[in-house]
Formats: sequence, structure tokens, C-alpha cells
Amino acid sequence: MGSGRWRIMASSRRRRGGPAAPPLFILLAVVGAAFFVLPLAGLLVRTPWASAWQLLTSSEAITALRLSLLASLTATVIAVVVGVPLAWVFARIPFPGRAVLRALTVLPMVLPPVVGGVALLAAFGRRGLVGGWLEQAFGIHFPFTTAGAILAETFVAMPFLVITVEAGLRGMDARFEDAGRTLGARRWTLLWRVTLPLVRPSLVAGAVLCWARALGEFGATITFAGNFPGRTQTMPLAVYLALETNPDAAIALSLVLLAVSLVVLIALRDRWLGTA
Amino acid sequence: MNLEAQIQATVGSFELDLQLTVASGELVAVLGPNGAGKTSVLRALAGLTPLDAGRVALDGVVLEDPAAGIRLAPERRPVGMVFQDYLLFPHLTVLENVVFGLRSRGARRLAALEIGREWLERLGLETYASRKPGTLSGGQAQRVALARALATSPALLLMDEPMAALDASTRVEFRRELRRQLESFDGVRLVVTHDPVEAMAMADRLVILEQGRVLQSGSPTEVAQRPRSRYVADLVGVNLYRGRARGNVIALDGGGSLTMAEGADGDVFAVVHPRTVALYRTRPDGTPRNVWEGRASNLDLEGDRVRVRLEGSPSIVAEITPAAVRDLGLDRGDTVWIGVKATEVDVYPS
Repeated sequence: MGSGRWRIMASSRRRRGGPAAPPLFILLAVVGAAFFVLPLAGLLVRTPWASAWQLLTSSEAITALRLSLLASLTATVIAVVVGVPLAWVFARIPFPGRAVLRALTVLPMVLPPVVGGVALLAAFGRRGLVGGWLEQAFGIHFPFTTAGAILAETFVAMPFLVITVEAGLRGMDARFEDAGRTLGARRWTLLWRVTLPLVRPSLVAGAVLCWARALGEFGATITFAGNFPGRTQTMPLAVYLALETNPDAAIALSLVLLAVSLVVLIALRDRWLGTA
Repeated sequence: MNLEAQIQATVGSFELDLQLTVASGELVAVLGPNGAGKTSVLRALAGLTPLDAGRVALDGVVLEDPAAGIRLAPERRPVGMVFQDYLLFPHLTVLENVVFGLRSRGARRLAALEIGREWLERLGLETYASRKPGTLSGGQAQRVALARALATSPALLLMDEPMAALDASTRVEFRRELRRQLESFDGVRLVVTHDPVEAMAMADRLVILEQGRVLQSGSPTEVAQRPRSRYVADLVGVNLYRGRARGNVIALDGGGSLTMAEGADGDVFAVVHPRTVALYRTRPDGTPRNVWEGRASNLDLEGDRVRVRLEGSPSIVAEITPAAVRDLGLDRGDTVWIGVKATEVDVYPS
């Protein structure tokens, strides 16, 4: 009985006076936070602010930046075009093997990107599963081309779009579609005028996340598409290369990628950081 | 114009099995407790829930007949539906919501907008045309939902709890308004509700639904006078018994018996109005033909009357004046004598 009363008092104190955690626990939390704060601080401190603009406007940097934007935006468009239908199928149509297919779709999120690159080579490489056929039939070949960089980025980034849109579709009140049907809307009308507008927030969030992931893609790209300036050397690859020859340029480029990530995070803060 | 429906459908583990006929000009309310399958009936008629068996025909045109392999998709049925929480499309304006059906059914944009504006005007909504549904009050949203459903000129109008989302204070006003709007609609009208007052006030005919089946159908007066289920009896506040009659005596299913004035034979319902039940401290002699003992389990003051629930064989609810309660010295747990005149037992076949 006595201990019960103490528990009640302790919990009421916690609510009023903040957390009552052991000091060691707090210390560990501080160490945890330092893992995130220190590298960013290091980057900011080491940035050669005076020459940053010059470094960023060098032709190598501009080329990498332009390629990165082209590849990541194209990857995002492809992801939206095929990822939204895929998300819709996952959310709405039960079929045998759905769980397995869904797991495969999410796999690139946890797979080491290098392994993803190897897998892409095995499928789309010159002697890959469909690569040879694609080259013969359409003259497309992926390895060491910009198309390859785009493919690698799509592979790694699309899962973010698919799971976000799928969650949006599952969370949507499907009776809106019923209402649309009783009003005479056929499937396409329903999709365009009801379903997609209703999941627009998820669609936008998914696309932004997808784009951010594509922009930062490194492992799969370098493995599958190689590292050719102007063709497959995107920003992250340029940063990695510059680190050996021109560390200041590497830091300046990193800062740009950091800024992009921050902007994305702020744009999606309601979704990820809550209202805190 | 009329609707003839024979519905057999499965919704999850719930089974719907009923027959429903509605003539044009008639406003039929489907009334039943929560979970009776009221919404499922509307969804089946709209084609949103496929039938296992049965037939739905509107003006003689078959919309669905599984045995004959006929099933018209919801988007091809001449049906307008007002959903329970209206389900106005939140991303479209009021006017866009109202013209959605016309556009979906192939009307040209300008023609559709014109018809949409006419509907808004008719329902007094023209000033809200460019508002988003999220900014409307419950009553306004209800009217937009009605305009949206009627804009395509459906032959059948289905309404699911049209008043449920409104404040109690505005309900009476909107019921009158809705009734007026519905009078100008010449198709078949079917309203679903769990609110007996709403059903009795609006409908020409009631269909009582319980556990997916029709228990009773008739005018509000008929249903109130001759309830055929505990649900309806409770709604109108009468004592309902079921039993087997033989001569002047009914042996009740739940135990006990009642003597009635006229003779009958077979399974019957018996209704005793609480106001006709008399209570006594001591066993009364003479007059009432039905006398038995009961224990007062509950006393409720309702208006200027006290409703006394008595456990006995059978249990019964009596309605007496507060003065009578005082004279009897009646309190919860007391045992009293119950008297019901044979002429006050209303009997009809079940």
C-alpha cells in the first residue's frame, strides 16, 4: 500500500516538475546528441567562407550540380509516375504475394547502396538480366551513362515515395470514392478528381523525400554508373573525389547538400518533427 | 416511379435479408438501432455493396439481379446519395462539389456550372459557391450534400442519417426545411435514421430494421400503436408482450399470463400502455381481470408522470402521478400489486 502511494506521488511530480531520470541517463543523451551536432559544427567551422563562392562556381562544381539536379529530378518524376500506381495497388488490391512484393519495394531503404548498385548491374548491366535485350531492342544502355545514374537514384529513392503515398491512401476515407461513384465518376475521374487530390499532402511529402534521397545518392550510383564528370559524377561523388584533391571544395559542396537537406526537413517539419 | 428491392447481401459477418418497396411521392424512413444494417441497405441500393441474391428494380428497370447476371455499377445508376457525414470533397469548392456529378456524367462545363448555380440558389447557398466545405456549418454542409446529390436529377434519392451531424438545437428547423426540399423532388425517396422522432416527423411510412431484417412496416401511427418489436415498443414507451392466445388468455413467452377482453387464437402481440397500469398496496378485489405482484426496481420522473419499472411475471412499466407515488409510499425495492383491465390489453396477431 505504501509503495503504491509513493508511486502516485512520483508520477505526479514527474508531470509537474519535468522528467526524473538518473543523471547518467541524461549524460548518455548528451553524448547521443553530440553525434549529430559535432559533425555539422565541424563542417560549418571548417568551411572556407571567403573562397566558398568561387569554389562552388568552378566549372567542375557547376557541372556536378547541374547533373545532380537533372538526375534527381528525373528520378523523382519516374518515381511518381510508376510509384504512385504501385502504392495504390499496395493500398487497395489484395493479391497473393503482396506482402513479399511490398517488402522487396522497401528493401532499397535498408540495403547497402553498393549492394543495390551490384544488383542493378546484374539486371541492367550489359550482360545483365534485361540489360542486353534493352540495348539491342532500344539502344539504351545504363552502365556509365547519365541514364544509369538516374536509374540508380530511382532505385534507391522510390521506396520513400511508395511508402508515404501508400500510407496516405490507407489513411484516406475510402467513402469519398464511394461518394464519387454514386455521382457517376468513372475510374479515371475518381482517381484524378478525388483520390489523388485527397492524398496530395502525402504525395508532396513522398516526392520531396524521394528527391532528397535521390540527390544524396552515392553508393549505388558509383557502383552502377561509375564516376564520369558531366555524365555520372553527381554532387556526392564530386564531394568524395574532391576530398582527395581539394578538401575546401569538398566542404563547400557538402554545405550545399546540407542546406538542401535542411530545407527539406523544414518543409516537412509538421510531418516528421510534430509540433514540438 | 417506384423502387422494388429484394436484398440479400453479406457485409463482413453481417447478413442483410429484406424486401423493400417504395412508391414515388412516398417518403420512406428506415428506422432501426445502431448496427441494424441501415447504411448497408442504402449501400446495396446504390450498388456499393454487391448483392448475393435478390433484385433491385427502379421504375421497372433492373439495376441488379445476380441470378440473371445483371449488375449496374454505382456510377451508372440513376441514384443520388447523401452520406451520413456528407462526405463533401474537401479540396473542391461548394460549387465544384455540386457540379461534380454533372461533369462526371459528361455535362459540358458551362452547362454544368449553370445547373449547379441554380441548385445553390434553390437551397439558398449562392453566397457560399466559392467556399471550401471545411468552412461551412453543419446545416450548410447538409444542404450542399443534398444539392450535390440532386444536381444529377436522380430517380432515387438515398439519405443516410441526414440530421445526425447537426446540433440538436438546429435539427427541428432543418427537418422542416429538408421535408420542404424533399417535397419538390419527384423521384423515389428513402431516408435512413436511428432517431424515431425524426422518422415519425418526416416519413409517410416507416420500415423498422433490426439485425438486417425488416420487422415491421407501416405508417408512423400504425407502427406506434402496434409495435412488433421490443425496439419500437421502447421507442414509443409501451409494454409489449409476445405469447400464445387461447380463448381469453394469453400465455406470455417470458412467463406469466394476461387476460384480454376479446378472444383470440394463436401467436399474438399484446400491448399495455403504462398509463393504464394501476398499482395497489394491498390486493385489489373485483374490477381488474389481471392482478399480480411486482417489485419496483426503478422510478423515473418523466414530465408530470413517474414511470415505475416493476419486476414480476410479467415485468411491466406503469406510469402514475407523483401524488399516487406518495399515497402508495412507493420506493425502490417495494413490492406492490399490479392491476390491468382486460379491456386495456390490446392484442394483434404476430
